[in-house]
Amino acid sequence: MLDVLQPAGLQLAALSQLALSHFLMTAAILFTLGLVGFVTRKNLIVMFLCTEMMFQGVVITLVAFAMFHNNVTGQTFVIFVLTVAAAEAALALGLVVLMFRRRRTLDANAWAAMQG
Amino acid sequence: MLTAILLFAASVLGALALVLLMPRPGRNLRPLGALIGVTALGGAWIGVALGTDLIRQLAEGALGLPSVAFIYYYVFSFIAITAAVRVITHKRPVYSALWFIMVVMSSAGLLLVLSAEFMAFAMVMIYGGAILVTYMFVIMLASQNEPQHEDDIPDYDRVAREPLWASAAGFLLLAVLLSIYYAPNSVQANPDAAMPADTDLIASHLANRALSEETAELASSPSSSPTRLSNAERVGVDLFEEHPLAIELAGIILFVSLIGAVVIAKMHVPNEDAIARGTDTPDERPEGAV
Amino acid sequence: MLENAVYIPWIAALGAVLCGALCLTPSMKKLAGPICVLSILAGFGLTVGSFLNPTFENDQQQQVQAPWKTHGTYALDDVAIDPHSHEVIHADDYKHPAVVIQPQPWMHVGGTAVYEEVIDKKSGHPVLGRDGQPLEQIVGYEGGLQINYGYYFDGLTMIMLLVITGIGSLIAIYAVGYMKGDPGVARFFAAMALFIFAMTTLVMADNLVLLFLGWEGVGLCSYLLIGYYYGKDSAVAAAKKAFIVNRIGDFGFLIGIFLCYQHFGSTDFSVIFNHELVTTKGAALPLGVMAIPFCLMVGAFGKSAQIPLFVWLPDAMAGPTPVSALVHAATMVTAGVYLVARMMPVFDVVHLQATISPLTVVAVVGGVTALFAGTIALCSNDLKGVFAYSTVSQLGYMFLGLGALSTHGAVFHLVTHAFFKALLFLTAGSVMHALAGTLDIRTMGGLGRKMPVTKWLMFAGCIALAGVPFTAGFYSKDVIIAAAWTQGIYGDGGTLYIVLGLLALITALLTAFYTFRLWFIVFTGETKYEMGDEHHSEDDHGHDDHHAHEPHEMPWWPMNLPLIPLAIGSAVAGVLLYEYHVIEGLIKASSAYTDAAYSETITMIMKIVSGFLAVAGIALAGVFYYKTSDRAEKAAELLKGPVGILRGKYFIDEFYDRVIVRPLFITGQVAYLIDQLVIHATIMSFGWAPRLLGKTVQPTQAGKLHGYGLGMIAGVTAVALLLLFLL
Repeated sequence: MLDVLQPAGLQLAALSQLALSHFLMTAAILFTLGLVGFVTRKNLIVMFLCTEMMFQGVVITLVAFAMFHNNVTGQTFVIFVLTVAAAEAALALGLVVLMFRRRRTLDANAWAAMQG
Repeated sequence: MLTAILLFAASVLGALALVLLMPRPGRNLRPLGALIGVTALGGAWIGVALGTDLIRQLAEGALGLPSVAFIYYYVFSFIAITAAVRVITHKRPVYSALWFIMVVMSSAGLLLVLSAEFMAFAMVMIYGGAILVTYMFVIMLASQNEPQHEDDIPDYDRVAREPLWASAAGFLLLAVLLSIYYAPNSVQANPDAAMPADTDLIASHLANRALSEETAELASSPSSSPTRLSNAERVGVDLFEEHPLAIELAGIILFVSLIGAVVIAKMHVPNEDAIARGTDTPDERPEGAV
Repeated sequence: MLENAVYIPWIAALGAVLCGALCLTPSMKKLAGPICVLSILAGFGLTVGSFLNPTFENDQQQQVQAPWKTHGTYALDDVAIDPHSHEVIHADDYKHPAVVIQPQPWMHVGGTAVYEEVIDKKSGHPVLGRDGQPLEQIVGYEGGLQINYGYYFDGLTMIMLLVITGIGSLIAIYAVGYMKGDPGVARFFAAMALFIFAMTTLVMADNLVLLFLGWEGVGLCSYLLIGYYYGKDSAVAAAKKAFIVNRIGDFGFLIGIFLCYQHFGSTDFSVIFNHELVTTKGAALPLGVMAIPFCLMVGAFGKSAQIPLFVWLPDAMAGPTPVSALVHAATMVTAGVYLVARMMPVFDVVHLQATISPLTVVAVVGGVTALFAGTIALCSNDLKGVFAYSTVSQLGYMFLGLGALSTHGAVFHLVTHAFFKALLFLTAGSVMHALAGTLDIRTMGGLGRKMPVTKWLMFAGCIALAGVPFTAGFYSKDVIIAAAWTQGIYGDGGTLYIVLGLLALITALLTAFYTFRLWFIVFTGETKYEMGDEHHSEDDHGHDDHHAHEPHEMPWWPMNLPLIPLAIGSAVAGVLLYEYHVIEGLIKASSAYTDAAYSETITMIMKIVSGFLAVAGIALAGVFYYKTSDRAEKAAELLKGPVGILRGKYFIDEFYDRVIVRPLFITGQVAYLIDQLVIHATIMSFGWAPRLLGKTVQPTQAGKLHGYGLGMIAGVTAVALLLLFLL
């Protein structure tokens, strides 16, 4: 897809060549930030937001690979990512509301029934 | 080698920055954190540039003016990362959610830079439009009242949990991921990187487009640059030609989650505090025990 | 009509299923009794119908009559019916006429399958499969063991069917009254109907394997019914004992079946009886064939409670009394007699060849058991125990009859015994019912005034059992005793059979004595009784207010009335069947027929002697026990030693306990210890390792979401590091 980034008829400098690595790095950073947020934040809602952020990282990775490897399947999978994200948001947020109604708190530490 | 070291250092700096930026009691070191963070990001970019030989080309004077896409990449990327940091460091969930919209917008911008315009708009609509609105609703539902004062924010939002360990682990992962990207055997071009030509696609999959006038026009019109498919069209062809089962499964997942959401919404949940006070009765139905 | 007889077992099976279903509906439990009775009665109706009108259509659409009917019209030698083709053939070509109906393929082992193209019935063309090739189906097998689910009808089968369904329905009617108000009544009748299914299958089977199915089926029902009061430990123990002792016998039976297959190539009766090894008299036989009767005999001894496997039958009286009457007196225990009678051709041919004749062994075991069990019955104080040992003793008679080649005598005694022993058990059940479960006859006396009907009904049974002249038991027993003497004097039996005949005569005396000892003690003398603690009929016939205090007569319907046919049968069945040679004729038309020596003189003498002995025995019992007298105690004092042994039932149970049960138990304990200390411990040590590991890592499972998230990051990082540095 380099021709997309390099409009026809214009001899561009090499600096304008955006490498795949650029997008991958941004995506990785987004992913990592989501991960760190998921672990550090105690608010259930924010934790779920962080998982969505990890999805963002994945989406960018997928599309970047698709574009640089000339394969649309990467983009196609973004559709499925969106599907899963929507389903997750519907269910997880419903559960969060239930849990909040039960304990009057959004603290994830209030739920430790799985303790071994 | 230099790339790896640079990226690793950037990761460490990023972790440090994140620790400083995390909500916590005591001295406010956020400006310092922000500074370190920006440094780390810059370092990472330089590392990437080194890894992709851009710097060497610059030194050799082989580079000209930066392209628009190039600038847009840096802008959107910076906004996305900054907004992401704010999402995980903001003490109020409402603001976290708003910052997240920012992340979505800017990553949609990145997708545009990648010329995946269909994906970009889908992201904005579904994430920004649907999912985030739901989040906002839930945040509103699940907070008693909007805190007016810093002290009104609940403890679990005010203090991060083990930011040091989490950041360390997270950025170790980041460093490793980035290192893998620049591992010698991973920068080679993909040998499979051969997409079928648009003409082939049209010939094989869209031959019956004559049924619909517009698409038939699109396929045969000589005015549009010869047999060029839009991104959305390519995605559509791929989606429906190669992954029909996956579409069905995705539909089932959405349907099941719809039912699940309805069930969850109708579920009666006793308030445990109220039970303790004796003003509510424990629910006897087993499914009430969430 | 005969082709309808195949439904006899299945009607009973349907009854069993319905009764079983009623177990689930407490409110409809009352219906179980009538359903069971109806299913057995329907079987009886079919049996009588096929007995009287035994015509059926053979494969050539010809009306053919079953052998027991043709025998009445023609001489047996002239005509016979091939069991499978149902064609009338000459008896010279075919031995042991019988009718085999509906042999459906049931099991097949070994051999090669024979395929045939499937032909469309309408068009007559072969049906083509998907690949265009004609479809083939397995139509049969060549070689191997083919077992059919077919029914075999001859005279012996008909006798057994009549007894089982006829007596069975009377007992079932009685049981409706007896079991009234019992909480498990549906379960009881389900097992009863199932028993009838299994028993009829047993006697109608056309091969040894199907017979074995019925054999095990009756064993199962016996187990279920003995253990009916499963709350009582003794009942449970008795049920297990019956089951286990029978398994010992069944082992022999199974070996016998295997040997039959090995040497005859089939388990079908019609094949076995017409096999050249069986039909050629006097030819040398392989050792395996010689062993067959001995193996089958072991099974028969187990099922029919002969020495040494008789110990289960007295204990089996723990079941409800109708069960004792039906299963453990009239029908199931005679299955052993039936088996030997059915396989008589094989016994007969081995009898002519073997050094030790299987029939001699049967006769000796039967004669000794008769006397042995009779002596135990002398001193038993258990109402049902006396009859139980008496049953063992009478079964001994039957085996003696078989051993003396008088199959028809044995079967005759089987029939009359079914009548009077069922009657005796049922009247004993009435007494027990009236006394709320008391069984010790020492605590009874003078009940005749309270229960006149029962008294005289039991009297009818007692005289028949005692063999008082012109009653049923007199004729049947007499045939057997006479056969033993004849075999000893005129036949090839020798002195041994004379001794056995003597034993049989002594047993006849003992039988008369213990029978009337019981009757005198229970029904005459001063009135005394102790009520038991069983209240198995709380809401029974409307006068439970004084039920607990005083014995009372049983109601006519449904309890006393069904006993009337039994009493009449006990009185006159013998003379009718004997004078008209009914049993003899039917046996002639069956595989059980044997050529036995017959002497009019000896029969006459034995009739006189045994009739005299019966009267003498009754008189002796009267001397000791009529009205209450202390003569019995004095006599017991005098004969302390023998009486002690008899009261202890020869200590056979104790002997088995010491010699077999205890050593086995100790072996089991040792094996258990080895299992626990070696095998179990080894296995458990494997189990401990993961448990310890689990204990160590358990604290990491704090239940906190973050912990799991951190763990995931660590894991992904580790994998990524591996990829980076190793690949």
